[in-house]
Amino acid sequence: MKIVKKTLFYILASLVALQFLLPLIWMILSSFKIDEVIYKDIDTIFAFVPRFSDLSFDSYVELLGFYNIFKNVGNSLIYASVTVVVGLTINSLAGYALARFKFPFKDWILIFIIALMIVPIEATILPLFLVVNEMGLINTIPGYLLPFIINVMNIFLFRQHFLSFPGELIESGKIDGLSEVGCFFRIVMPSSLNMYITVGILTFLASWNDFLWPVMALSNADLMPIQVALNAVFADTYNIFTSHMMAALTIVTIPIVILYIIFQKYIVEGSMQSGIK
Amino acid sequence: MKQFIKRFVKVRNTTEHFRQSEHHRKRDIVSAYGFLTPALILAILFIVLPIILAFTYGFTDYYLLKPNDKEFIGLENFKRMMTDEVLIQSFMNTIKFVVFVVPLQLSMALGLALIVNKKIRGVGFFRTAYFSPAVLSLVVISILWTVMLNPTSGLINELLENVGISKQPFLSSASQAMYTIIAISAWSGCGYQMMIFLAGLKNIDGSLYEAADIDGANAFQKFLFITIPSLKPILMFLVITTTIQAFKLIVQPMVMTGGGPDYSTITILQYIYEYGFRHRNIGYASAITLVFTIFLVVISIIIKKLFREEKVA
Repeated sequence: MKIVKKTLFYILASLVALQFLLPLIWMILSSFKIDEVIYKDIDTIFAFVPRFSDLSFDSYVELLGFYNIFKNVGNSLIYASVTVVVGLTINSLAGYALARFKFPFKDWILIFIIALMIVPIEATILPLFLVVNEMGLINTIPGYLLPFIINVMNIFLFRQHFLSFPGELIESGKIDGLSEVGCFFRIVMPSSLNMYITVGILTFLASWNDFLWPVMALSNADLMPIQVALNAVFADTYNIFTSHMMAALTIVTIPIVILYIIFQKYIVEGSMQSGIK
Repeated sequence: MKQFIKRFVKVRNTTEHFRQSEHHRKRDIVSAYGFLTPALILAILFIVLPIILAFTYGFTDYYLLKPNDKEFIGLENFKRMMTDEVLIQSFMNTIKFVVFVVPLQLSMALGLALIVNKKIRGVGFFRTAYFSPAVLSLVVISILWTVMLNPTSGLINELLENVGISKQPFLSSASQAMYTIIAISAWSGCGYQMMIFLAGLKNIDGSLYEAADIDGANAFQKFLFITIPSLKPILMFLVITTTIQAFKLIVQPMVMTGGGPDYSTITILQYIYEYGFRHRNIGYASAITLVFTIFLVVISIIIKKLFREEKVA
């Protein structure tokens, strides 16, 4: 009885797993075939099971022949990294000030930050475009990056985190002659590493996956991040074959899979804190 | 009593005053504002200013290509919204998406969490498998599914034919396109929520189930009277975040259908994008932005109020 139940459970769990995995397996496998083979295999088991005689890197080579997709991947990596480094510094400094110092208008600034958390950024993306346009920053990297460096949610998360930061550590740093800024970068930041990694990973993923803002803010093909370039490649029905498209999708997915494998724990923790997606 | 409080506050203030010298206090203020300034400048430029702009432009006929020609036209834009059939359609589409995707995605996520909560060998594999679509970006998911759902040669239709179901148009049919987008969105997003549910399930006190076993409860009763009530705070948290997220749907229809066929998948956010960014009609698009932003703020306040007593994770 117990064995029957266990077997049924495994069958159910596996069927559900297939439902999530098969599209991804098909994507990766098809990227190594030519279109003719993809469509010949499509209603057979070989759509999902590799037959090594048919596999080749041809579609990758052809794709890179007319779209240098690595340039856009590189753009995205740079944009996401800058957003993480500058964003974490600016937002955590603000969160630290709100947690640790006494100063005039402190409560007002805190209320201001919390009020801004309620306003959905995507909803006001059009007037944001107008502001950046007025500043003459459309189609420039600063114009693209600056609006998403500030993140009020992250300021708030950092503030909550720093509220419980041990004051003695900072005092001892001061006795050793460190300034307030020195204390922050030499003591506070290193001892909050976990927090920084969690928020950093979320920021990185959000920046890497962003689509709407780059479509509006960057139309220069040389500056385009990968998600926008991907959509442009997809729209090109003359040159593109299914195998090329699957190759492009696979290339874009690889960095995120690597990131996921390395930082698995932080991604899950972080998504619980902010409830993204 | 009042006097007592006054005196108490005064005493506290003076002790703090003594504790912190004048010099230190000044240094604290300088440091604090130094630390806050970059964030505050960016927040004012890129969050507050856009909101103010949406507010002022919404009452004008501002057209991006004629920036010096804008005039105050009162409530004209808002009146136009009431009779704009495509706008009303995009609002109904958005509502339809939210109403279907939130329960579908959350129940899928809960089901998956229940499977991977079992203490059985190989559970790590299942967890990774169920989570895997959540790693992909929305653009990748949208393109992959568009290719797979191709009406004539797509993978899904070939598989359907193999089990005796005739080919379906999916994204190219006005009656099916939105439901297709709903299903794909739930498929891609439920992995994250599964992880959050799983954390909730792990926190439930095992002795509750033991007590229920002694009382002779069956699996369904245990689920209904122990699991669900224990998950309530997490459920509320997920309902709020998923609902707000769903209202901001744009990438999937933009990549998969472009809002069509026959405006059957156009959403509010996409309508704003089309009007403001593509047609450059800033006045009208700002008015819609204004109404949509207020709508979202009100929705999130209402949901939060409804579940006020719940302490959210």
